Amino acid sequence: MSSAPIADLSYRNYDGALESPNKLWWVIARQILRVSLKKRILWVMSFLAGSYFAIMMAIFFFTERMSQSTAPMMTGSNMPAMNPLQQLMDRIIWKDQFVHGISMGQMWFLIMSLVVGVGTIANDNRANALLVYLSKPCDKKDYLLGKWMGVFLTLLIGMSIPSLFFYAYGILSYRDYGFFTGDKLLLFKLLFLLVTNAAIYASLAIGISSLFNQGRLAGATMAAVYFLSNFFTQAMSGAWMAFQDDGNATAKGIVSKLFYGSVDGLNIGLAKSTLATSGSPPFGIPDRMEQVPAPPFLAAFAIIIIVSMLSMLIAWKRVRAVEVVG
Amino acid sequence: MIELQNASRWYGQVIGLNDVTCKIEPGVTALLGVNGAGKTTLMRLITGQMMPTTGSITVCGIEPFCNPEVFRKIGYCPDIDNFYEHLSGRQFVEAMARMSGFDAAESKTRTQEMMVKVGMAERCDKIILGYSKGMRQRIKLAQAMLHEPDIILLDEPLNGLDPIGRRELMDLLNILAKQGKTILVSSHILFEVEQMTRNILLLHRGRLLASGDLRVIRELIDKHPHRIRIQTDRPRDVAEKLVALPYVQSVHLDARGNAIELRTKSPAEFYEELPKLCLDHGLPIEGISSPDNNLESVFRYLVGE
Amino acid sequence: MSSVSVASIQNLTVRYGRFTALDNFSVEVPNGCVGLLGPNGAGKTTLIKTLLGFIDAAAGGGTVFGHDIKKDGRLIRQKIGLMPEQDCHIPGMSAVQFVAFAGELAGMPAAQALRRAHEVLEYCGLGEARYRNVETYSTGMKQRIKLAQALIHGPKLLLLDEPTNGLDPQGREDMLELVRSITHEKELNVIVSSHLLPDIERICDHVIVVVGGKLRTEGLIRDLKKIEGHPCDIELREASPAFVAAIETLGATLLESKGYRYRIQAPGTPDQVSKLAFQAARQTGAQVREFSVAERSLEDAFLEAIR
Repeated sequence: MSSAPIADLSYRNYDGALESPNKLWWVIARQILRVSLKKRILWVMSFLAGSYFAIMMAIFFFTERMSQSTAPMMTGSNMPAMNPLQQLMDRIIWKDQFVHGISMGQMWFLIMSLVVGVGTIANDNRANALLVYLSKPCDKKDYLLGKWMGVFLTLLIGMSIPSLFFYAYGILSYRDYGFFTGDKLLLFKLLFLLVTNAAIYASLAIGISSLFNQGRLAGATMAAVYFLSNFFTQAMSGAWMAFQDDGNATAKGIVSKLFYGSVDGLNIGLAKSTLATSGSPPFGIPDRMEQVPAPPFLAAFAIIIIVSMLSMLIAWKRVRAVEVVG
Repeated sequence: MIELQNASRWYGQVIGLNDVTCKIEPGVTALLGVNGAGKTTLMRLITGQMMPTTGSITVCGIEPFCNPEVFRKIGYCPDIDNFYEHLSGRQFVEAMARMSGFDAAESKTRTQEMMVKVGMAERCDKIILGYSKGMRQRIKLAQAMLHEPDIILLDEPLNGLDPIGRRELMDLLNILAKQGKTILVSSHILFEVEQMTRNILLLHRGRLLASGDLRVIRELIDKHPHRIRIQTDRPRDVAEKLVALPYVQSVHLDARGNAIELRTKSPAEFYEELPKLCLDHGLPIEGISSPDNNLESVFRYLVGE
Repeated sequence: MSSVSVASIQNLTVRYGRFTALDNFSVEVPNGCVGLLGPNGAGKTTLIKTLLGFIDAAAGGGTVFGHDIKKDGRLIRQKIGLMPEQDCHIPGMSAVQFVAFAGELAGMPAAQALRRAHEVLEYCGLGEARYRNVETYSTGMKQRIKLAQALIHGPKLLLLDEPTNGLDPQGREDMLELVRSITHEKELNVIVSSHLLPDIERICDHVIVVVGGKLRTEGLIRDLKKIEGHPCDIELREASPAFVAAIETLGATLLESKGYRYRIQAPGTPDQVSKLAFQAARQTGAQVREFSVAERSLEDAFLEAIR
């Protein structure tokens, strides 16, 4: 055939191998990763989410440098003791840094989800893309799983980089200050938190996305859900401060639970309970306000799971697989 | 009935219609042209939704722009598909009837009549959201005919109808045409149009390329000689005789060996000569046809490849 | 071509609530190019969904390329390419990316999918526009890209739903030529569902007619169009009763007349009958312009079949 001078460019059928249609969800997820990992704004948001860590790294770096070049304090017993800067370094509760980092990263995580996740199914609805998916050996399960995994993995990558970078820096530089010994399982707990964060944002994004025909409306709705719940949390925060001085115990207890009743709140709550800390004032700046105690772990975890599953249930119901033709 | 005199209409720099002069008489006239040729613009001018930028257009002697008198005479069945989806077909048409000025009782009776006429009598009480394309077309047609207009304009009316629906609609239009109404149908589907009428208006890029009877137009297309196909099992013998005729421009032997195709600018002369071939020279002729004597070919010749 | 039939449906009943879409339906879909005809709501759409492996059968079943329609939906869809009637595409991609992704969804390795996407787009006439976003395409181009995404994975059966929808005459011509060249020269099986019967006549050899959820008729188009006794149609330049009288004297019977078109029945082969026509014409000064063995149009055959 290749010896003929004029090539036959008419239609050729494809008789090559076709993979078994069992890993289609990965094809869909891969496509989402391909597109979203190229978006610059994802990386900008990732960096901004790590701004707390960046600032703290700078503070710790300079504090440590200066503490080493300051002369040790002389006490009466003639034993060199730590100078005030070193004492500062010693007092740092490392796991709280992660709580703050995650807490301050929440809004940037939201924006990441708006950019990467909330348009997926909405745009498909507008373009009638389901018709294409379902005419191939793909069904609703593959479609939703693929979409979810694509968004989840993208968010996970974006969210993890600042925290993991800080962890790596910490484990290399601040061993002496109890970075590792403070909590040996810190890395695994951190990974657990990152996965749950990514999961809940991905689920919400996909669930809300499936309700709309336009990415913009879906995005606006998700932002609205986030900020309205955040508003509620702010109100609870105000109540907490009010109850600081005079409140009775039950009221204080209720408020301390409701404090976590928002999208970001759930994540912060889970962070606190996983890392078993109530948090400390961020940036080490003393604050007369008592920190809200961590919620019970199982409750926090269960609520996150439930919210995620409800969102995906909405998506499952909304994606109508039936009318492939006509 | 409808008369255009040098009518032009443009939108900014985009031309809709360019210097169109024509008359649309009672009966069925087909409005043809590719997408963007100006068909919808023409319809909008006739229904008075727009004014021509230059030139004039009159419907029964009156200018249609914003003229309720003229609206009474026209029924328009557009190709857009926007309805109040939560209403039933019957409710929708009744609402249209009320808007045309009929009182409640009259609206009801007219609606019922129309529903029967368009074949929706059993199905019109379901809401429009669930309607198929064909059912929507029928509702559109019903509301266009409510006030018994003399002129009916239909933009792609056969779109989405199954063959039965198509036949029914074409029969209905034929009946209306016989009653003396002026019907203008715009369509892409040439073989359907051909079954309805031989009277065409062909637009291309805003200009009127041809108007009138299809056959007459075909005769006048000088650039493309007529193709006549002769089915015979002795093609070469027939060809020999044909080549001798002075007005036969070319003879083409079909690859399958059972037909020949000739081109001539004087088909009439050829048809006179044809019996001689068969009877005097004894050549067997199994079929005679003219492959490009149809609307599709005329369209292609005039609009160009 | 293999002798395994494309699809075989037996006694299939499909219901949506109380509405029976397909009623004890059985059909053997032959190889080659098949037209699917039927009024709206007759069950054509349901039949297509069935072939794609999407239905919930109340009774009966069937196979497509040997795979069970109730269990092997995915395997079936790997072998079928569907060109849907409605507009559809994956948002935010260029034509090449879209078609390649469609190929990947069908199971092609990514590199093969991209390579073949270029090939298929070229073949469908979208060579120039392939790097443009699909959302900027005109109607004709959208139809072609739907065809391209149906062909990308080299299906054994192509399902076309109203392939010439919304196309102007030239576009329609191009699409029909394209489909015909793929199917007839490359031996790809095709099922075309359309209301435009001349389109079906152009591309297909067989038809399956579905009415009211049941199989009304099926067979070769050629056979459906034949008329008993082979009458002949004659068209004159103008109507001529004298011509009719003359030809009747020569032994023909007038069956129908409409203006200047006549349908007659006469013994003998077509060339013998044409001789009679010419003789009558010569005697009476009429001019014969068209002569052919009468055939029903597919549209008439269909309308008769569903009465």
